[in-house]
Amino acid sequence: MRLPRLLFIALLLVCAIPVAGISGPDADLARGEALFNTCAACHGDQGQGDALLLAPGIGGLSPWYVEAQIRKFQTGVRGAHPNDIAGLRMRPMSRLLRTDTDTKAVAAYIGTLPEPPTRVTLDGDAARGAPLYAPCIACHGIDGKGNPALQAPSLHSSDWYQLTQLKNFKAGIRGRADDPFGVMMRPMAMMLVDEQAMKDVIAHVQTLGR
Amino acid sequence: MIERYLVAASSYAQDIDNLILLIAVLVGFWLVLCEVVFFYFIWRFRARDGHKAEYVSGENKAHKRWITIPHLLVLVCDVFIIYGAVRVWVNVKQTLPPPDATVRVIGQQWAWTFVHPGADGKLDTADDIAKIDELHVEVGKTYHYELSARDVLHSFSVPVFRLKQDAVPGRIIRGWFEPTKTGEYSVQCAEICGMGHGLMGARIMIETPGEHAAWVAGQKPLSLASAR
Repeated sequence: MRLPRLLFIALLLVCAIPVAGISGPDADLARGEALFNTCAACHGDQGQGDALLLAPGIGGLSPWYVEAQIRKFQTGVRGAHPNDIAGLRMRPMSRLLRTDTDTKAVAAYIGTLPEPPTRVTLDGDAARGAPLYAPCIACHGIDGKGNPALQAPSLHSSDWYQLTQLKNFKAGIRGRADDPFGVMMRPMAMMLVDEQAMKDVIAHVQTLGR
Repeated sequence: MIERYLVAASSYAQDIDNLILLIAVLVGFWLVLCEVVFFYFIWRFRARDGHKAEYVSGENKAHKRWITIPHLLVLVCDVFIIYGAVRVWVNVKQTLPPPDATVRVIGQQWAWTFVHPGADGKLDTADDIAKIDELHVEVGKTYHYELSARDVLHSFSVPVFRLKQDAVPGRIIRGWFEPTKTGEYSVQCAEICGMGHGLMGARIMIETPGEHAAWVAGQKPLSLASAR
């Protein structure tokens, strides 16, 4: 009777060694990297994005922003409109992250990935877009790098994605009443009178220093 | 019997259960009988001293009977199965009883959009109610569904209805159901549609007329003329 019990305790201790050995920030990043495998199927192994899959570049995004967006997808604040094609794909994927720790871990890992290089896919006019960007400066900054205090993310991501999101804000697909920071973007997007104005302001953002 | 394990909540669920049961009993009977005969033969003609192995060519009439008689009996069983299957198929898939209401079901990676008629009971009007992953229906009403897919193949599956219908991009497929039991049940996608397929679940809420009217009254209309 005694030997099996000792063996059992010894086995428990052996199992505990690797768990104890990987606690702390490194463990979170390792966990985040493992969880990111699922995201990589669409967003790419370096978070570079894939326009064909409607998956924007997410490498280097601020962890607070990624975390906030995952929570919005999880709770249906974002990605719950029938015409939000890409958002409806993210909605179930976000729910694979079952705990806050996992959400934080994957957000932290995404923050360590390199920012994808600028790739122009739209025919916007940066010169015409410069004055249109003036109202955006208050929150997103003159360099477009965002301001965490105002929950304003960096705008340095795929241009086609920026266009889709501006259209979504304008059409009420994104920025519901229960999304306090998203709802602030709705009137801002409405200031851009048409699609060309959106493309122009995005073209200007693409010229800003990273 | 199947209902003990999975609620039957549509007017045709019991017919489908009976058909599955009929097939299971007939096939099960032949499976057990064949296994008994095979094991009997293995025991009866086991290796014994003084007996040489013999090749049976199957030309002897007495031997051939072991094939032809069960074969004919299985064909008789098939007649019962085909009769039952065609009867159910015609009722479920080839008949469209007059509807009390119509709902639009749209599959896309990886969510279901359900467009319900508003208080006017008609689709494509200003009071349509579009919901993601939530279908609300009234018990005892005959519904038509207009099923479509926005991107790839999906399959609209409601296990408690015993209903499964593929959704094909570019086509609008019409079908029907009549909920017979109130409650909240699962809706699934039953066709591999990408990496999020397994997460493409939704809920169907079968409500009493009063509950359904209250739900409709509490919804903000969201017309989706373009969402088909």
